[in-house]
Amino acid sequence: MPQLLPNISALLNNVTDSLDMFRPELCLIVLFLLVMACDLIYASNKGRACRMLTCAGLLLVLVANWGEYIETDDNVLFLFNGSLILHHSNIVLKMIIDAVAFAIVLFFPWDDQLRKHGKGMGDAYTIITASVLGLHVMVMSSTLLTIFLSVEMVSIASYLLVAYRTESGFSAEAGLKYVLFGMAASAVMLYGISLFYGLSGTLNLFDGNLITHLQQADTAMVTLAVVLILAGIGFKLSVVPLHFWVPDVYQGAATPVTAYLSILPKIAGFGLLVTFLTPFIADPAWKQVDYVTLLSVAGIITMIAGNFAAVWQQNVKRLLAYSGIGHTGFALMAVVTFSAQGIKALNFYLAVYAVANLGTLMLASYFANTMKAENLDDYKGLGFKYPVASVCFVILLISLTGIPVSAGFNAKVIVFSAVYEVYQQGHNVMLLTLLMTGAVTTVVSLFYYLKIPLYLFLKKQESEIHEYPSYKKLLVMVVILSALIILLGIFPDLLANLM
Amino acid sequence: MNMLTLFIFIPALFGLLILVLPDNLKQTFKYITLAATLIQLALGIYLYLNFKTGAEFAGINHEQQFQFVQKLPWISLNLGNAGRMQVDYFVGIDGISVLMLVMTAVVMVIAVLASWEIKRNLKGFFALFLMLDMAVAGVFCALDFFLFYLFYELMLLPLYFLIGMWGGVRREYAAIKFFLYTLFGSVFMLLIMVGLYLSVTDPGTGNHTFNLISMMNPANYSEGSVFSLTSHQMLFGIPARVLGFTVIFIAFAIKVPVVPLHTWLPDAHVEAPTPVSIILAGVLLKVGGYGIIRICMGIFPEVAMSGAFWLGLLGVISIIYGALNALAQRDLKRLIAYSSVSHMGFVLLGLASLTAEGVSGAMMQMVSHGFLSSMLFFLVGIIYERVHDRDIYNFRGLATTMPQYTTFVMIAFFASLGLPGFSAFVAEAFTLAGTFKSELVPHWMAVCGSVGILLSAAYFLWTLQRMFFGKELLKGGESWKQSLTGLKVREKLALFPLAVLALALGVMPSLVFGKINDSVLALIEFTKQVVR
Repeated sequence: MPQLLPNISALLNNVTDSLDMFRPELCLIVLFLLVMACDLIYASNKGRACRMLTCAGLLLVLVANWGEYIETDDNVLFLFNGSLILHHSNIVLKMIIDAVAFAIVLFFPWDDQLRKHGKGMGDAYTIITASVLGLHVMVMSSTLLTIFLSVEMVSIASYLLVAYRTESGFSAEAGLKYVLFGMAASAVMLYGISLFYGLSGTLNLFDGNLITHLQQADTAMVTLAVVLILAGIGFKLSVVPLHFWVPDVYQGAATPVTAYLSILPKIAGFGLLVTFLTPFIADPAWKQVDYVTLLSVAGIITMIAGNFAAVWQQNVKRLLAYSGIGHTGFALMAVVTFSAQGIKALNFYLAVYAVANLGTLMLASYFANTMKAENLDDYKGLGFKYPVASVCFVILLISLTGIPVSAGFNAKVIVFSAVYEVYQQGHNVMLLTLLMTGAVTTVVSLFYYLKIPLYLFLKKQESEIHEYPSYKKLLVMVVILSALIILLGIFPDLLANLM
Repeated sequence: MNMLTLFIFIPALFGLLILVLPDNLKQTFKYITLAATLIQLALGIYLYLNFKTGAEFAGINHEQQFQFVQKLPWISLNLGNAGRMQVDYFVGIDGISVLMLVMTAVVMVIAVLASWEIKRNLKGFFALFLMLDMAVAGVFCALDFFLFYLFYELMLLPLYFLIGMWGGVRREYAAIKFFLYTLFGSVFMLLIMVGLYLSVTDPGTGNHTFNLISMMNPANYSEGSVFSLTSHQMLFGIPARVLGFTVIFIAFAIKVPVVPLHTWLPDAHVEAPTPVSIILAGVLLKVGGYGIIRICMGIFPEVAMSGAFWLGLLGVISIIYGALNALAQRDLKRLIAYSSVSHMGFVLLGLASLTAEGVSGAMMQMVSHGFLSSMLFFLVGIIYERVHDRDIYNFRGLATTMPQYTTFVMIAFFASLGLPGFSAFVAEAFTLAGTFKSELVPHWMAVCGSVGILLSAAYFLWTLQRMFFGKELLKGGESWKQSLTGLKVREKLALFPLAVLALALGVMPSLVFGKINDSVLALIEFTKQVVR
């Protein structure tokens, strides 16, 4: 303790200096408190006030992030004595997270199942605000401690959201499953972290001695520690074989919550994965764990398993859940490159995936609202009844498949070219296999994605079904997202150059 | 305004117009579409008449020799240290593409005339139709690989819906089969496209480029890149350039279609409504042939030359197998679908020969088959529309019931089987002459090609005899007889020009050869140059 004393003032100075670049997160903290208070005061209007406040606040956070984006430029900053790392790519991910969270908050009351919930939606907005804070920290974590804290923060928020609506046995089961598996995954990760700390002697990933210490340790132990930590992250990313919770939870949760789960923790998880791997990749002396092979194999298995399993699905949300697993595999391909171009490609891919996935889930909600349609069979012939919604569905699915003219196609091309570029330098067969798998699974994905247009347009409606009032606003939102997808399909540079 | 840009985007403009018009104007949609295709045809004729010929306008691997060029910077992605990803909106035509455009314009007009039979959901049909039209026109004009690929894939979605929503009984199956087959080919083509892009640098800017013409020049490949001619890289133990050629060839071979990748075709053609069958057979199959010339042979000429035997073999197999299958069909539409497989085999055989005669013959065959297959499918559509049946054995003696119709059928059949005086004869004669002359493919292939012509005479004449001659006997009896009325003015308007074109190209093949000759010679010369 006495030898630490002279450092205290410097540490404190660092903390106060860091606050300046912590503005978005500070905004979030204040917003969280405000939303909670607002929920208590205006409990009667079913969270409408909370929703407006949350949306406005998230936009403010987005602006604050934009300020950081311009300020940081190409620099790398360490905040709070190296607990957090801030650079261009992190900020981009944070901005994607903010924008998507904004859209999801808008989406919440447009879903009938959630709307009719007795508890009202005020709590949900509070939880989301808190979770966005967790997601921000997750993306910026640079010590094992912050990693674990942020992951737990996001997890707890997710457990609450999944179990938000538990009137049916199925969703209760989904909620419980998620909590149990999530806890187990966290425990595994924590064990990995403790091993890792023991072997490396530091919590900070960017400590100069990290690699040296790990190299002196037993390779098998290091591998075990790293694999356990990666398993914790992989659970969030839904990498096969840690994906088993995904279908049930996505199907059982309310659709806006599914949208939340399938986009936000995934994006933050990729940010975390990249940060975690950076010190190992940056040091050419590191040979203990071959990340390229490890992640390539995981990516290939994930792409194949996710896409093939989706083929047999009948429930639309379940189908989208499996397709989301497939997309994780594809995004891993971009991670494997470990190049600046690859990270850009990854960010663009994630942004486009977020838009398209959000759009499709909104449409799933739209059809569930208006026609009580949840399975493919219920979609028969609806294309003629709701032409605008159905055409948007086709556009969004085309983007998810990766066929031109859509943003998804451009994202795919950019990822492919990033991988190719790296292949040309190193001639690693793994990368070539990844490319091949990506191509084959695209064809497979077309098969199941096209099932939705098939039922919408090609099959005939058998009987007249009761119709419920539809939400115009939801449709407007979907049209905007579809237009965005086409716009980015024709001019990808609008967004991609910002990545 | 650039002529080609107009040519490509006129349909899109009219398509948008149809989308915004209210539903109660739906009777006008077909006239709007007809107007769009007629304007396109006028532009096509303008392009044809103003297309300059001569060695200095040959095109192929010289960017400045292309005509009606428009080149605009389009996508510019900053990729950090990997430079910029540069995609241009780059369109232009040479002798290889100009006739494809004219033929497309004619076939599209015919297809609209065949669309009068469409009764349901007109807005969707014509909007998708025009979108397809735009994509096809774009494919034939694009000189940037990225742009080409965009248009190429853009064809799939409208076709899926056109077959799937307005098709026959097994339409769902046919539509998805077609889509999966084509996408399977083109996704792998995408990988090769990205690889080529990263191998080639624009000599002007130093950036990687998608420019198809830059990709043809071996000097533009950077040292040590995957597809460089000098670095001899291997992918999965196969030389990279051979693999690249094969993958792109498979993508286009699915489109042509080449046996054994043809199995989507009979389903798609038979289940599709008549106008879509016409476009499929008339234009889309040529996209495959065009792609093989422009991309496979243009970018990988030395592989095309060393693999000429196998290309020729596939062509011969398609010719014979398609013809034998056609002989065995009961369904008239299926018979014509298989005859397409057989006739498109000549295109591949001619290209494999890599002689001026062979390639010219292949080009001629594409143009001629475009007109003739449109005519054949239109004719099948006429009879199907009247009695909703097209089983060959359910008809007999149609010549007495529908004399005018029979006349057109006879013209189409005789032209297709290669009667001298019609376009197919010229095409097949040149192809076979090229095959005989070529040192790359053995002579027996030319002999097999001739056997294919013989077989096509067999199935066409046999069909003619079964359906049209003899004593009148119809399965549906008197009610069918009532329905089988004479040709309407609209139908005559569609059939007559096609018959005239088939005859005109047969009598004056210079209409085609005059425009394509310089480009074909340049292509052959270019191939020899690279190999040397």
